[in-house]
Amino acid sequence: MTVGDAPTTDRLAIWAPPLTCARPFVAALENGPNKDLFEVTEAAPEDCAHAFRSGRAAVALVSSERFWRLAHDPALDVRIVPHAAISVHGALPNHLDEAADEHCLGDVARTVTEWRKRSGLPFVSWLWVARAGAANEPRLAGLFRRLSAVLADVSVTAASVASAEFLRYELGSHELSGLAAFVEELHRTAGLPSSERPSLRIRLLDLDLPDPLGLPVVRPRRKVSGKTSIDGLLADAAAGSRIAPEAAALLYERASLLDLGEAADRRRRALHPENIVTYIIDRNVNYTNVCVTACKFCNFFRPEKSREGYTLSRDELAQKFGETVALGGIQILLQGGVNPHLPLTYYEDLFRWTKSNFPLALHALSPEEVSFIARQESLSIATVLERLIAAGLDSLPGGGAEILDDDIRRRISPLKCSTDTWLDVMRQAHRLGLRTTATLVFGFGERPEQMVGHLDRLRALQDVTDGFTAFICWPFQAEGTRLRLGDDTTAQRYLRIFSLARLYLDNFPNLQVSWPTMGPTIGQVALRFGGNDFGSAMIEENVVSQAGAVFKLSAADIEERVRAAGFVPCRRNMRYELLSSHPPASGKSHVTAVSRPIGLSASA
Amino acid sequence: MSFSAVRDKVRAGEPLGFDDGVTLFRHPNLLDLGQLANDVRERLHGERTFYNRNMHINATNVCVAGCRFCSFARLKTGDPGAYTMTLQQAWGRLRERLAANDPLTEIHIVNGLNEELPFSYYTDLLAGLKRLSPTVHLKAFTAVEIFFFHQHYGMPVAEVLSQLRAAGLDSLPGGGAEIFAPRVRHKLCADKCDADQWLDVHRTAHRMGLRSNCTMLYGHVETIEERVDHLLRLRGLQEETGGFQTFVPLAFHPDGNALRRLPAPTATEDLRAFAVSRLLLHNIPHVKAYWVMLGIKTAQTAQWFGADDLDGTVQEERIYHMAGAETPQHLGVADIVHLIEQAGRLPVERDTLYNVVAEASANAHGKPFRRAIAPEAGRALP
Repeated sequence: MTVGDAPTTDRLAIWAPPLTCARPFVAALENGPNKDLFEVTEAAPEDCAHAFRSGRAAVALVSSERFWRLAHDPALDVRIVPHAAISVHGALPNHLDEAADEHCLGDVARTVTEWRKRSGLPFVSWLWVARAGAANEPRLAGLFRRLSAVLADVSVTAASVASAEFLRYELGSHELSGLAAFVEELHRTAGLPSSERPSLRIRLLDLDLPDPLGLPVVRPRRKVSGKTSIDGLLADAAAGSRIAPEAAALLYERASLLDLGEAADRRRRALHPENIVTYIIDRNVNYTNVCVTACKFCNFFRPEKSREGYTLSRDELAQKFGETVALGGIQILLQGGVNPHLPLTYYEDLFRWTKSNFPLALHALSPEEVSFIARQESLSIATVLERLIAAGLDSLPGGGAEILDDDIRRRISPLKCSTDTWLDVMRQAHRLGLRTTATLVFGFGERPEQMVGHLDRLRALQDVTDGFTAFICWPFQAEGTRLRLGDDTTAQRYLRIFSLARLYLDNFPNLQVSWPTMGPTIGQVALRFGGNDFGSAMIEENVVSQAGAVFKLSAADIEERVRAAGFVPCRRNMRYELLSSHPPASGKSHVTAVSRPIGLSASA
Repeated sequence: MSFSAVRDKVRAGEPLGFDDGVTLFRHPNLLDLGQLANDVRERLHGERTFYNRNMHINATNVCVAGCRFCSFARLKTGDPGAYTMTLQQAWGRLRERLAANDPLTEIHIVNGLNEELPFSYYTDLLAGLKRLSPTVHLKAFTAVEIFFFHQHYGMPVAEVLSQLRAAGLDSLPGGGAEIFAPRVRHKLCADKCDADQWLDVHRTAHRMGLRSNCTMLYGHVETIEERVDHLLRLRGLQEETGGFQTFVPLAFHPDGNALRRLPAPTATEDLRAFAVSRLLLHNIPHVKAYWVMLGIKTAQTAQWFGADDLDGTVQEERIYHMAGAETPQHLGVADIVHLIEQAGRLPVERDTLYNVVAEASANAHGKPFRRAIAPEAGRALP
């Protein structure tokens, strides 16, 4: 059924296999206002790859099983169109089950039901994919923006055809987790031994789309299977199975501390069988404390006109950087307030000056700072990052995430970047080849599902980009701040969240303990609760120490504690590559030969 | 001896032997030890964690013993930092608490071995405190002090104890045990009473009907074998008298004393000491995580590694703080209850003899953290 011709020679085609669930889509496309744009063809899905390859089609609606095949085709560079998918959350209702049989959907329906039962994750049944580079991206964005208008009309139809409880037109983090898990499952059922499995990246098309596409999002009813035992969930998670958010919340609330720790410890042993605990020598330099974000939980920042506000001079920076090199440091963790008086050129100059004068890596600017610079300069995030990389930026720290939940963020840091912006900066940084870390700060009165939601968003992004090197969490340090919450920030809660994170973030290679906030004692204990990195022998820290956490450890102290906990200490760089020899105390040419990086693939 | 063999013994309720103790101390997996110790702890006390409202009085730090691990003692009056409270000053501590309406139930009194004071100083101290608050429990004088009184004032140990009891003494704290092995005592605290003398003071006290606690100071120059030997000797006396209530593992703190070049024990060693003690000392009812020494975070965590008691509110502590402990001087009851509840345990306020003063009817957060315990893991206490 041809709906219409594209107005230009660069015709875009959408491929839609016959599908009851997608019928509202197709119907809307037939009747919608954009007849001039789309060509919908009922062709055999296998032809999709051919159509992509030959350039006849740029976009297709494919089932997730077929997506797997397309994504493996080395000749194609398939991307998922963000925020456009049909995912099935519940079991299919009976009337659709029958309809599904009629329309050769029986397999899908059975898969969905079984999938839900086993994984607890949504099942993405159909998704829009595009061939990267087949059409220029702005044109695709325009296409999907118009499509979104059509889909908004569709929602009413969709609700009447399928009960709105289980159908969703959204591809959020939860759905991406489901998709990644399903693809993993297909790998397994395809019988490929793990060593021969092609590593499949789920990549998103880099489109500037509203999020979600103005579509009504139907949230599934929260359901936790009563049959699932805590022990069973822990055993699966320790063996490396993906945990669903509901299961994670259940474990967080119900599993005993030691059981969680044991499962996390087993997972850590599987990922890092070499029994090494790494650490880095770097210096935390806070180049300015002037900040317009004014987060309620912060005792470091000073407002713009404050007499206590500072921005470090070149001389001060040179002294700090020089000391860092002399003490064997290999990196500067450079973060500041969000200071409106510092233009992008300030950072470019600073980075270039650093690189030409010191043998130091720049682990600099959290997503909040990057997005602020982009806003202030009216540049895209990608452009800001590209310019900073050209000036010497090596990686981004994962700070400012707090809890990636906009309800919480509005309450504690209303002026700070949103969840999506934080994730978007990280996504773009990863796309440009930067590695970054990710953090979580708890103790803001968040509910377990909000904390798990945070982990889920990180895991989903990591599925797509694989750009996070490590996860770090710590409790909110309240002293001297304007936030009085009385939330639990004890060691128990830290260890529970930390071990849960080790289990939940199955695609994060490293978990770093937070001794600057928890103290060297619990920092060390956390190595037995899933941690494999002791963080930094910090030469300086200004933020949490302003809010009541004051601990200091030298490299020798760290090594002693790591050994006492039964591990072999080893220095690393930001990419978690082991440094084969320790730098001499004078420290010149110490970033020497590097052994293999520690990654997930190291497990066996 | 393998870990799993030791685990089987624990589950079957058999007492562990010397080799078992060594195996446990050397077992690499800390969480295995924690699980096993936690099973025993939950079998004995369920989800309860005990605490009390107490205060410390360290009336003098003048001490003839030159223990190398001590940052508190001064050799004689007049040395820099040396102090001896007048009786009025010592009583004043309690008066302050009473004036503040603190419903405290215990005073913990530990001092240096001060040759310049008459024996009446101690009896008057106790009697005065009792006059101020007849219901408060006086847990006073370690076995080392009692033995010093015996030598210095020329009275049999039993006589020292009965005079102190007549003045108001209710029980003995467990300090001064350090490590029993003569090799270690010779190195660290040659002036102190030896193991047999220490144990004999407690034996005498138990026979008179006084309860007491016991301790082990670990993490300095002792070997694992010497730790196990120490624990087994405590267990032996308990077998005989049943008078120990609580065992308190004490970590060595290196600041400000003659052993400052030694590293302090780290938290994983602390938790290991708790777990192994809980497993070896099957006949001592309680294991206490003394937060002043451990730090609040590790003390909270120790509730999952065998400890069922967090000590008390303390008010003012000098001995560990002079050795570099960075903990606060005082924890409020609300703080202690919070630490216990957040660990998924049920806070129970006790008096010194473990009578329940106040018990929450249910865990305020209703968090069912507790694991099921294998029924065969039981071994009754004497």
